[in-house]
Amino acid sequence: MATPIIEVDAVSKEFWIPSVRRETIREHLLGLFQSRRFDRLQVLNGVSFGVERGEALGIMGRNGSGKSTLLKLLSGVYLPDGGQVRAHAAITPLLELGVGWNPELDAIDNILLIGSVMGLALKDIRRDLDEILAFAELERFANLKLKHYSSGMSERLGYAVAFKAVRDVLVLDEIFAVGDAGFKAKCERRYLELRALGHTAIIVSHDPRIIATFCDRALLLDGGRVVFEGPACEVTNRYVSTLTQPEG
Amino acid sequence: MTVVAEVDVAAEVAPPPGGMIRHAGLIWTLIRTDFKTRYHGTLGGFVWALLKPMSMFLVLMGVFSFLFASNPTYKLDLIVGLFLWDFFAEGTKSGLIALQAKGFLLTKARVPPWILVVTSIGNALITLVVFTLVIVIFLVATNHAPTLEGLIAFAGYCLALVAVVVGFALGSSVLFLRYRDLNQVWEVALQAGFFIAPVIYPLGILPERFHFYLYIWPPTPVIEFSRAALVAGMLPSLRGEAYLLLDALCCLVVGAIIFNRLSPRAAEYV
Repeated sequence: MATPIIEVDAVSKEFWIPSVRRETIREHLLGLFQSRRFDRLQVLNGVSFGVERGEALGIMGRNGSGKSTLLKLLSGVYLPDGGQVRAHAAITPLLELGVGWNPELDAIDNILLIGSVMGLALKDIRRDLDEILAFAELERFANLKLKHYSSGMSERLGYAVAFKAVRDVLVLDEIFAVGDAGFKAKCERRYLELRALGHTAIIVSHDPRIIATFCDRALLLDGGRVVFEGPACEVTNRYVSTLTQPEG
Repeated sequence: MTVVAEVDVAAEVAPPPGGMIRHAGLIWTLIRTDFKTRYHGTLGGFVWALLKPMSMFLVLMGVFSFLFASNPTYKLDLIVGLFLWDFFAEGTKSGLIALQAKGFLLTKARVPPWILVVTSIGNALITLVVFTLVIVIFLVATNHAPTLEGLIAFAGYCLALVAVVVGFALGSSVLFLRYRDLNQVWEVALQAGFFIAPVIYPLGILPERFHFYLYIWPPTPVIEFSRAALVAGMLPSLRGEAYLLLDALCCLVVGAIIFNRLSPRAAEYV
């Protein structure tokens, strides 16, 4: 059996929530002799799984189950407190559409900015500019500052750049529902093209249709642990049934 | 305990060897974007930004050239001091807030945090380069053309000041995420520092026993040595230059150590 492209081994992540938040030097000095309590919030607890090359893995779970934290660990944004994440390929995190857009710049400058943030070479971005604008259906507005864009236009541009910047692994967080039906269908086609080219994908979503349609396999997280792992359809069924049960 | 990746997270925390070259496109784009945003992408906007230190120079010159009338090079000394101080103040202020200002890139994308800090002083650096040209033209126009040796020495002092600013920016940017009033504390320190550094007065008016302490403040040796090299046409002692080099290296190393220690978890504090 081939080595997984991403290996997550007993990963834990916790945050310490203080009873009194101190964020300034003044607050620290004034509270020098006042004790405060720290409550431990265990967001992930011993999570282990692997992702094979070319596979699409879905991650589902209730709010607060640790999905987004797990994606941030996979993307290298957070460091784990315990365990290891081994990624044997370049990851393109797409944790929020349009992140980093500068509203004072036009679409072209923003594409250059976000493209290079996502790891694309400037010459490649310049070469693909027309294609990116065409995918976002924004050719006519290329020189318009982003502050004049609607949220839908910004999101379409975000998708267009992200789909161009995909390296080996695409990590998507709750962002598979953008634009009108036509644009949605175009994004889904592009996603399937990338999969056909052999790219790996990790998708977090609350939408059982997205996970069942676009993932081969899925994990169900609850309370920071993997409670179920299997074919995407089975996991979505289990997820829907947990939603009908009271939390406990 | 770590994330092991093809592009290793730990190695991305501090400038790795060759990192500046590998990330050249991103560094250039971030500096260009900051420049375009700040100056509205026009030369006119940039010239407008130069008016602030220029107007400061005219006001201070108007007032203090009477006080220091016996010093024939006071105006030249003032312009050199003001422009170097302007770079130090602007660079440290931008560097301090760099990670917080670009926090969205830390939490949602995978950008080495040191790039966000180093590129944040790009605008101040561009201004310093332009001012250097202005100063040289000014010196030539006033029959004080600097020697080639003096210009090379001045470039070295500027590099030392850049190292001080980068070191401060690295250290303070991660501390600012934990202490959100650090920028206000630094504003106060800068106000005091403006008078500790001999920007508007010649250092010679103070008793010599204080000079050692004033030289601890990094802008002081940079300003004094630059004036000596550009205006007076003489170079400071090698001992003095070695002291400046040590001062700059200390700032850079201490800043890098603080940054290396705290930046891996910076995204959790944004």
